[in-house]
Amino acid sequence: MKLEVKRLSVDYGAVKALRNIDLELGEGVTVLIGPNGAGKSTLLKALACIVPYKGSVVFNNHEISSLHPSERMKLITYIPPYVPALPDITIGDLLLVDTSMDRSRLNYYVNFLDLNHLLERRIWEVSSGELERALIARGLSRNSAIYEVDEPLAHTDIRYQVRVLKELRELAWREGKIVLIASNQLNPIMNFADYVIALRGGELFFTGPAKEFLKEKIIAKLYGIKVKLLKEGPYVDILPIA
Amino acid sequence: MRSVEEYVKVRKRRFFTVTFTLLSLLITLALIHVSVGSSTENPFKIMSEAISEILHGYPGIASYRVMRLTASLLGGMALALSGLLIQTASRNPLGDPYLLGISSGALFGVVLTFALPLIPLYTLVLRPIAAFIGGVLAYLLTLAIASKAGMTTTSLVLAGVAVGTTLYSASLLPQYLIIQNIHQLFAWSQGSFVDPEPLGETMIFLSLVISLLILYKFVDVMNALNISDDFVRELGEDPAMLRKLLTLIASLIASLTVAWYGIIGFVGLASPHVSRRLIKSGDVRFVLPPALIFGSLMTVAADAVGKSIIYPVEIPVNIIVSLVGGPALATILMGLKHETRG
Repeated sequence: MKLEVKRLSVDYGAVKALRNIDLELGEGVTVLIGPNGAGKSTLLKALACIVPYKGSVVFNNHEISSLHPSERMKLITYIPPYVPALPDITIGDLLLVDTSMDRSRLNYYVNFLDLNHLLERRIWEVSSGELERALIARGLSRNSAIYEVDEPLAHTDIRYQVRVLKELRELAWREGKIVLIASNQLNPIMNFADYVIALRGGELFFTGPAKEFLKEKIIAKLYGIKVKLLKEGPYVDILPIA
Repeated sequence: MRSVEEYVKVRKRRFFTVTFTLLSLLITLALIHVSVGSSTENPFKIMSEAISEILHGYPGIASYRVMRLTASLLGGMALALSGLLIQTASRNPLGDPYLLGISSGALFGVVLTFALPLIPLYTLVLRPIAAFIGGVLAYLLTLAIASKAGMTTTSLVLAGVAVGTTLYSASLLPQYLIIQNIHQLFAWSQGSFVDPEPLGETMIFLSLVISLLILYKFVDVMNALNISDDFVRELGEDPAMLRKLLTLIASLIASLTVAWYGIIGFVGLASPHVSRRLIKSGDVRFVLPPALIFGSLMTVAADAVGKSIIYPVEIPVNIIVSLVGGPALATILMGLKHETRG
């Protein structure tokens, strides 16, 4: 299973959000990083056909923009970090908005992320972290080949961060899913990365195995600040130097 | 809740309970509505008399009462649907044809046709068209002002109030200058089912049926739109196009009610809101039926009170509805305190 991206560009009016991106995504966990405005969310949305793109995105010999939306939804799921919903929408409404949802899978993830007691709560009555958990549960309940998770660490506490990242790794390693996670939090996400894609200013800065990316010089160049890598056993922490 | 399955079951059960209760209330109120007036009659007698009057082609008091009941039932339903569509399209719980200036625009359009020297038949056809054009233009103006002001919930409503009050006053003024029968006209512009035209009822009924048939196809996309534009795009639909379609239908329905029954505020605002609160869900499939019933409940109750409480004086529907609607708006506003949270 492979997602091939060739000469992908996205414009928002005069703003060129992404320019000529060439990529190959395979099974495993790929972490997408880059400074603010690098085009991380845009790349995720383009691959899910939520924003229109130029170039080609091919999965199993199919150009994904030419697939029927229902086919595409089986293939690829974009999980947003936040939704601007009408205040009376409940967490239950949010989880059940796709009528074709596999209920047993949904039940599993609702339990997994402790959402049962929130089903009848209105979206504005839950915390940002709880809403984010609900969005992740909804996304993972779709049994698609590719999961794109946008900032899963933005609002969740460390318990759920680790729980979600471990689950994504399981999905990638055991079920052979393609998992692409965009995040600004290098810790702890780099400990879960098999591959890294780094964007800077709408262009590809780095793509390759995580091991090759985890070098002080490369990270310093990407963000324009000095960093120190702290290693202990299999774990690595990236420490910015003030 | 122990599981999603239980949530689904509870939601369905609550939907049926709420719908059944509201429907029983509406039937009771409808019976009261036809029985009160110049004299208090047995509602079933009125209904059977109305049928024979209509069959024999001699309209009388009984058929008038039934026609008036039908007008208030349809008017409430139309306003509730219009409100629900605007709330979905603008993703704003304060969406309402009156609050966003559509009704006043429609009123202004209708008043302009009064100034034209036309024979009554033309007026009957021109009235809804003028109302629709006025309503849509006013709504576009509201949207333009609101988008310059940042398109927040508050800016949208304030822009609607600005457009609405201006056009409302602009519609009242010529009534004093041109029309002789001011009292009756003022009563109409304040919302009234006194004059239940069969043509108006047919138009509103047909527009409701056609709109609901169109919307049936869009229920899933409307649910997605209630949550996020990205959810709509994922389904392969364009959220901007969907918004235009929904607001166009909403403006059409609201303008038709204004053309025949004048301005009735707050029904569009309150009905979907009450429905969502009662069934504890925002899913359009469940919200719509109780919202339509609640809309009718409001107008039928207001008209029953308006026509009987100080008979023979008719209190306009809008006045009674606003007495309840104002506080409802205040309650919704207070419930929006979370909006400021990032």
